[in-house]
Formats: sequence, structure tokens, C-alpha cells
Amino acid sequence: MFATLLAIWLAFACAPQNAPERPAITVSAAVSLTTALTAIAQEYARAGSGTIRFNFAASNVLARQIVNGAPVDLFISADAAQMDVVARAGLLREQSRVNLLTNQLAVVVPNDRQRTFASINDLAGQAYRRIAIGDPQAVPAGVYAKQYLEREGLWSAIEPRVVPSASVRAALVAVESGAADAAIVYRTDARVSTRASVAWVVAADRGPRIVYPAAIVRTSTEPAESQRFIDFLRSAAGARVFERFGFGSAR
Amino acid sequence: MDLWQITWFTVACASGATAIVLPPGVAVAWALARRRFTGRTLVETLVSLPLVMPPVATGLILLMLLSRRGAIGRILESAGIEVVFTWKAVVLAMAVMGLPLLVRTARAGFSISLPLAWPSIVAGAVLAFARALGEFGATIIVAGSIPGATRTLAVAIYSYTETGQDRQAGVLLVASASIAFLALWYANRLAERRPA
Repeated sequence: MFATLLAIWLAFACAPQNAPERPAITVSAAVSLTTALTAIAQEYARAGSGTIRFNFAASNVLARQIVNGAPVDLFISADAAQMDVVARAGLLREQSRVNLLTNQLAVVVPNDRQRTFASINDLAGQAYRRIAIGDPQAVPAGVYAKQYLEREGLWSAIEPRVVPSASVRAALVAVESGAADAAIVYRTDARVSTRASVAWVVAADRGPRIVYPAAIVRTSTEPAESQRFIDFLRSAAGARVFERFGFGSAR
Repeated sequence: MDLWQITWFTVACASGATAIVLPPGVAVAWALARRRFTGRTLVETLVSLPLVMPPVATGLILLMLLSRRGAIGRILESAGIEVVFTWKAVVLAMAVMGLPLLVRTARAGFSISLPLAWPSIVAGAVLAFARALGEFGATIIVAGSIPGATRTLAVAIYSYTETGQDRQAGVLLVASASIAFLALWYANRLAERRPA
């Protein structure tokens, strides 16, 4: 038994490792960016520009990890509030902070109960007994969703049916698995899902302004490499990929 | 903050889960200790599986079975029974995760002699109860974290921590540690009374 474990360990430990030409950077990014950023990083690596290690989670989780000392080079948050949490802890290189992307909210329903809303008021209907949104206490998508429903005068009707999720993707999964009857997610999340369909897209002028800021973490050991990646994200090549996944440019 | 509601809800669900697993758990423990039957090792392995599997994976299996589209969920839905995202899911997740501890502990008692099995059964039940109190991974997947509806101590601590409400998390931490300590202390006392 021990010999087997030792053999396995040795096999991994001694595997040839190609030394990367450029130091890898660690990027903590909002989970709603998972698909788009992974695609961009592949392009980035293919061009020999460098290796990106991603840590995807709800932005409030990422902010708390950074505040608690997680070794992160670059933080991309789904809202300004969580970026401010890191800023208040004095952990940002403030001059590197930029608004990167914009997004919109959408209501999704399970594929097998596909429908299109005539208005957002439909969400208050009896068919929607469980509505998944990011935890409105902190998860950006949930905070945005609550702001939107409050503006539409629907929050008090919907709040008792809310299933707070750990992240926007968790809310999406709740609908995909059929556990929730509807979810409020980003339009970009709805787009990558094959098991949930869009019932309602929140028009940009009706919903809260959704902006994704990016900034280099003060304790980063690779600030120059991090800046290069931010520049790439803001380049025409980066914008093309983001656009393909439904994100808007914040400039 | 709903310290009492969360604590009471957690203890109630853990008690319910322990009550549910006791009859089948003791039966399986007895069979494993006293009977030789084909598939014995298989039963033993299956029962112990939740002990070593990632709790999140166990939760995922439960969700796949019980959601509206799942094999069991479909039948339950036609009967008008909802499990996912309700207290029933909390109890179920706790029961599945507590079962291995009950069976393994009770089994040890049965292998000595029948009258002496009691302390082992009780110790097993207390262990299952304590494990149920702390259940997190399967619960968050199949029951979610709905305030006032499915939020247990473990899940609430996680949710409060994630949303930056450290003080609330701290209070619940003390509550959860105290209950777990009492349960384990009791189980250990029972185990010590058992003849070696």
C-alpha cells in the first residue's frame, strides 16, 4: 500500500515540467467570467504571452480571500462594492483600477418549462415558487437582482420565494437541475447554458448599471505581468472575445 | 440574527435524521456483525461510502435523484411532495451522512454480545447526531441556504462568512462548537463504559 502511494507520488513529483518563459499570474475573477476569460487566456497563452491561473468564485468570496491574504495578482469583480472591500483594506494598486466590462440581467427558466415573459411582473406569478438569485447580502448578481426588483416594486412579493445562492452560477444551476422555477442571472450566463432558457432580458436602461472593475492587488509579485494581461483584456482582441460571450465594453 | 431559530432548526433536523436512520442502521449493523450473507462486503462498502466521498458529491447524487427531473423527484412531484430546498432535504442529507457512523459504531457492539450492544447503539446514534449537526456539503447542494427555511448552523456560518457578517458567524460558531462538544463528550463517556 505504502509502496504504491510512494510510486504514484514519485510519478507526479518527477514528471517533466516545462519551465514557462513568463511567470504565471493568478487572477481571481467573478464566476460569471469563467467561460469568457478561459477562452481569452487560451488565446493569450497560445500567443506566448503568458500563463494565467484562474480562481473563479462569487466576487464577495474573492474579495474576502484577498483581504485575508490570498496570494492574488489581479482581481476582476462583478461589482464596484466588492472591489471597494479590497480597496478599503488598502490592498489595491489604485492607479491600476479600470472598469472593464458591462453586463445585463436576465430571468431564466428550465428548458422544459420554456416561456417568454410579457413583463417582469410575470415573475411574481404562482408558477414561480422558488426563484434563485445570488445571495442579495453580498453576491453581486444578487445585489443587482434585488436592486432591480425593488425598482420594479416586486421585491416584497418575491423575497419570500428567493433561494439565495452562493454565486450567480449556483443560481443558474438551480434552474438547470429543475430545483428552482426561475433564476435571475446575467444575460451572459444564460447564453452559455444549454438547460435553461431566457424568459426575460432586463433592458439596460431599466436595470442597475452593471460594471466589472479590474485592479492589481498590492501584494502581487507580478505587477508588470498583471498589467500586461489587463491591457490584453482591453485590447481589440480581448474585446472581441468578451463581445462573443455577450459582455459589453465599459469604455 | 436568528440564533435560536437556526440552532433549534439544526438540532431538530439532526434529531429527525438520527431517528430515521436508527431502525435501518441498527438492522444493518446487526446483520453485518452476526450474519454471513452474499454481498455482505458490498453492503458494508455502500453504507460507509458517504464517510469517504466528498459530501458535495453525495449532495449532488441526492439532488440528481430528487430534483423535479430526477428518478425519485419525478414520482414525488406527481404526489405533490417537494424535497429539494425544503427542510426534508436537510434531514435527508443529514441522515445519509450520519448513517455510516451509526452502523460502524453499533456493529462493534453487536460483535461482542447482544445485551452489551446498547451502549454502542446509543454511542453510534450520538455520533450520527453530531455528524448531522455539522453536515454542510450535501446540505448546501440539495437544501440550499434559505433563511428561515433550510439554513442550518453549518450553512449559516458559511453564508455569513461569505457575505462578510463575521460577528453573526462567530456567534453561531460558538453555538455549533458547544453542541458538538456535548454530543461527542456524551458519546465518549458511553464508549468508555463499554467493557474492553
